Amino acid sequence: MKGPLFNSAVVLAGIYVFLKFILPLFTAPLPASLIFLYLALTFSALMIFYTMSGESLESFMGPVQRFLTGEGQTGVANIARVLVFIVFPLLVGWQTYTKLAPSDDPPPESRTIHPAPPGEFVGLANPYPKNNQTIQEGKGIYASNCSPCHGENFDGKGIAAVGFNPPPANFADSGTIAQLQESYLFWRIKKGGVGLPIEGMPWKSAMPRWENELSDEKIWKVIIGEFDGAHQSPRTWEEEE
Amino acid sequence: MSEVAVLQLMGLCVVGTGILILLFLKAVFVRVLGFVIIMLGIFTLIALGVPQMASLPPAVETFDIASVKTPDDLASIGQKIFFSKGQCALCHSIGPSESARCPELAGIGAKLAPEFIYESLTQPQAYVYLDFRHDGLPEEYPARMPHINKNPIALSEQEIYSVIAFLQKMSGEPISIKVEDVLNIDVGEMKVASLVGHGGN
Amino acid sequence: MKNHDTLKLQSWLPKVKASSLSGWSVFLAFLLLPAFVWAQDAATLAMQVEYRDVPGIGSRNLIWIVAQQHLLLAGFVLGVPIFAWICEIVGWKTNEPRYDKLAKEFTKLLTSAYATTALFGGILLFLLIGLYPKLMAYLSDIFFPSFIAYSILFLLETATLYLYWYGWDVMQGKKKVFHLFLGFLLNLFALGIMMIPNSWATFQASPVVVTDGTAIERAWAAMQNPTWWPVNIHRFIANIVLGGFICGAYAGVRYLQAVTKEERERYDWMGYVGNFIGVFGMLPLPFAGYWLMREVYQYNQQMGITLMGGFLAWLFILQAMLIGVLFLGANYYFWMGITYRVPGVAESYKKPILAMLIVLMVSLAVWMTPHSLVASLQEARQMGGTHHPLLGVFGVMSAKMTVANLMILVTFISFLMYWRAGKQETAAWAKIAKAVMGALLVIAGLAVIVLGVWGYFVPAIIRINYFSVAQVLIVLFIMVTFTPLTALLMKSAKTTTEMIWGQMPVRAGYTLVSNAVMVILLMSLMGYARSSSRVHWHIYGVMRDTSEYAYSPALGYAAAFMSLNTFVFCMIVAFIFWVATMGDKATQGTEHGQPEDSPVKIPGGVAPAIAGGSPREGQTFVNPVPMNKNEDT
Repeated sequence: MKGPLFNSAVVLAGIYVFLKFILPLFTAPLPASLIFLYLALTFSALMIFYTMSGESLESFMGPVQRFLTGEGQTGVANIARVLVFIVFPLLVGWQTYTKLAPSDDPPPESRTIHPAPPGEFVGLANPYPKNNQTIQEGKGIYASNCSPCHGENFDGKGIAAVGFNPPPANFADSGTIAQLQESYLFWRIKKGGVGLPIEGMPWKSAMPRWENELSDEKIWKVIIGEFDGAHQSPRTWEEEE
Repeated sequence: MSEVAVLQLMGLCVVGTGILILLFLKAVFVRVLGFVIIMLGIFTLIALGVPQMASLPPAVETFDIASVKTPDDLASIGQKIFFSKGQCALCHSIGPSESARCPELAGIGAKLAPEFIYESLTQPQAYVYLDFRHDGLPEEYPARMPHINKNPIALSEQEIYSVIAFLQKMSGEPISIKVEDVLNIDVGEMKVASLVGHGGN
Repeated sequence: MKNHDTLKLQSWLPKVKASSLSGWSVFLAFLLLPAFVWAQDAATLAMQVEYRDVPGIGSRNLIWIVAQQHLLLAGFVLGVPIFAWICEIVGWKTNEPRYDKLAKEFTKLLTSAYATTALFGGILLFLLIGLYPKLMAYLSDIFFPSFIAYSILFLLETATLYLYWYGWDVMQGKKKVFHLFLGFLLNLFALGIMMIPNSWATFQASPVVVTDGTAIERAWAAMQNPTWWPVNIHRFIANIVLGGFICGAYAGVRYLQAVTKEERERYDWMGYVGNFIGVFGMLPLPFAGYWLMREVYQYNQQMGITLMGGFLAWLFILQAMLIGVLFLGANYYFWMGITYRVPGVAESYKKPILAMLIVLMVSLAVWMTPHSLVASLQEARQMGGTHHPLLGVFGVMSAKMTVANLMILVTFISFLMYWRAGKQETAAWAKIAKAVMGALLVIAGLAVIVLGVWGYFVPAIIRINYFSVAQVLIVLFIMVTFTPLTALLMKSAKTTTEMIWGQMPVRAGYTLVSNAVMVILLMSLMGYARSSSRVHWHIYGVMRDTSEYAYSPALGYAAAFMSLNTFVFCMIVAFIFWVATMGDKATQGTEHGQPEDSPVKIPGGVAPAIAGGSPREGQTFVNPVPMNKNEDT
């Protein structure tokens, strides 16, 4: 019975335990969709490996086949086989039921965090130079307007950030403003959450639209301050001298 | 049933058919077909499993010529033309830009008289701008300005004045284009009505 | 003749606009009836009907199916001559008739495939004129001279194809060089035929301002839009891949159907050649794709974000899945080749194969990890958003580029491993060479990973301009230097185990079919991506789609269409193969395969890389034992 089949089961179980229980000890838990993806990949890897040659295929599929067809099975094995035939459809049924049963949970969301900006905002560049003065001005505006949510350390952990879903962006993360051009930030600050297109789920974001409070000049400067404070640089198509 | 559910059902049926073929049929070609439809069915099911999102076009804004009352109305039409039919934004940006192929237009409405802008749009070679934003001799910009009032862009007079109004407004300049003048331009037909959103009549 | 044409054209075009026809236009209309109708539309209909609809299926969906079929067939028709031509050269260089025969067999397909492609092209054109007159009027106004060039190229291509095919047997021996030259011309014209319509499509995605000037000047200016060349290169390589994998799939099906030993050997070998050329093309393809995406981003940030981070972001996860299956399939086929064709070595290759499989799978896992995860409310709260604090780093381009390069590297190692299976190097410098190659591979792999990780800590522009390019160059360098080096090593190598053809299991045949299906699906998927990145524009930022079909459908709905298209295309190709090989049965005994039990000659040099092994110069092997046929049916 032992051999490839047993090994595969151990590998799959091991990876599941690692992703589900061990990894969350060090970081946030993984969503179920991701765990499923990784397990599916592991499973295909095992299939590929054990079907590489005739012998390994036999030792992998043979026991399964013999078990299912009942070939030469007696006693406990036979009872187990009948049990599997009874339990498996029930499992599928239960799975289907839980999938379709009404529940209070909102459906899994997949909000596009950085949707495409409208045409009017594409290709704008910051008209203000990056120097000590603009950085200080920008940081000043940031401190009075943005830091309550986005945090004094530009890490999205301001005192007012708690409770927002989605949480305020963490600028220090290399996956946020470092991936974006300055014109993109200009759009997001100016038009706020309600200015997002539908895939960005404008009803979810709590970002205010700042166009009424801040002039364009201030928005451009706060962008300079933000990038400097978060130790990131904007995406550009030309190298800085 | 939702459209997704219908498609999922179809995908499952296809995969099921494929499995039945592989289980019971012997002919090689049919079996290969069964194999292919299983793969295609699974692909479709996976694609149905990821978040479904259609991209809806923004609403087409229709424009009634009678609704133009103020110069600001004119400028807002001009803005739309600037970013669509006029194709201005293919080369020009408002504010400095790395990808712009031609001079940027921030503040242009304050720097230039409307007559001069009009001439630049309709006779672009009358006065040629060169690119000085680098060391050495000035160079021509990579794209040449087309005649805006001729094919293929072919803006009407009214449309050109709307764009000029937009350029002035954007530069913080009072709009000197007069609404009555624009409305009185004889174009034979109501071209303006069809310009915004491209014939959304 | 051509100059004369173009001269006339300049004076002629405005007249058509005025709907007055000169004698020349009558002549040209003869030449180019459909496009002429199209051009006239420009004049008379432009302001009248903007869209027509087809009840039931809808005009957009109908165009979708027909255009996709036309494009896939065109890819096939352009890919097969490249494939055939390469095989013909190999056959000519090595004096091996089976390559020539293979090339000829596939050229035979061309005549019927060519007609089918043109048929779908015609249907597509009529549908476009009928259903989207406004857009067509606009495009023909700009591109009309290129229609003429396209037609001329089409005439040349047709003539060359007939000469190439019907002259095959006549132009053997000394005339072979001329025949090869014809094959070159065929591919050259085909390239032109591909590039001109590419410019129409890329103009729609990345239009440039068309200044006034002569008709030809305007068309030329419009053709030179920013994404034209990236798309040309990308499609050219993709067509090679398509041609190779379709050949593989055909061989796979025939292999499964094969009854006699010679058939099994022949189709096993053919499947290998197809897979080889497919993989060969597939390795540089991601680089071309990367260049294209870069140009798109640079052209318009909005379009780039729509594709990579916006509403099409999930499409790229699906793409990663399909590419993953394709890479796995190609590697699986190599590995099975080692196990089955080179008896006795399976055990010693088990460990390296496992290692490569793990690298591939980890790479794929990274590639398929989305930037924004699907999470329930509770999960999202725990993660603090839809970004996972740890795995979120896999979501960005730096990680994806790195693992794509690693997967390419692994696939290349698979290929090398297969090539060397069952051989013993005899050259004195073999040991050193192998050590150097091994060290270089490790260094290259590490360098790719280091650059990838480092990429998180530098500005995007540095990463894009230097790090990503460096990664690509490293992998390319490995491929370019290792291939000739291995060929040199293998030339003097001693064969310890003979390669046996016709022993592959049934799974191998299905793997070949799966690879072809994946390539076709990928082409359909990326066609959808290219088309829907324009969102609600016919011509991006210039002409808005105001029809009721201006929206882009959700991925599941689109995937159903892609699957349908893939299936229909497979059926068309199967039909073409069936028609083209119908006559073979009668002559099978005399024409096909090697005479039974006669030794097969495999020469050394470059060809063995394609032949799937490299026994010494002039080495022979005797036909293998037939395999157990019902192995896993």
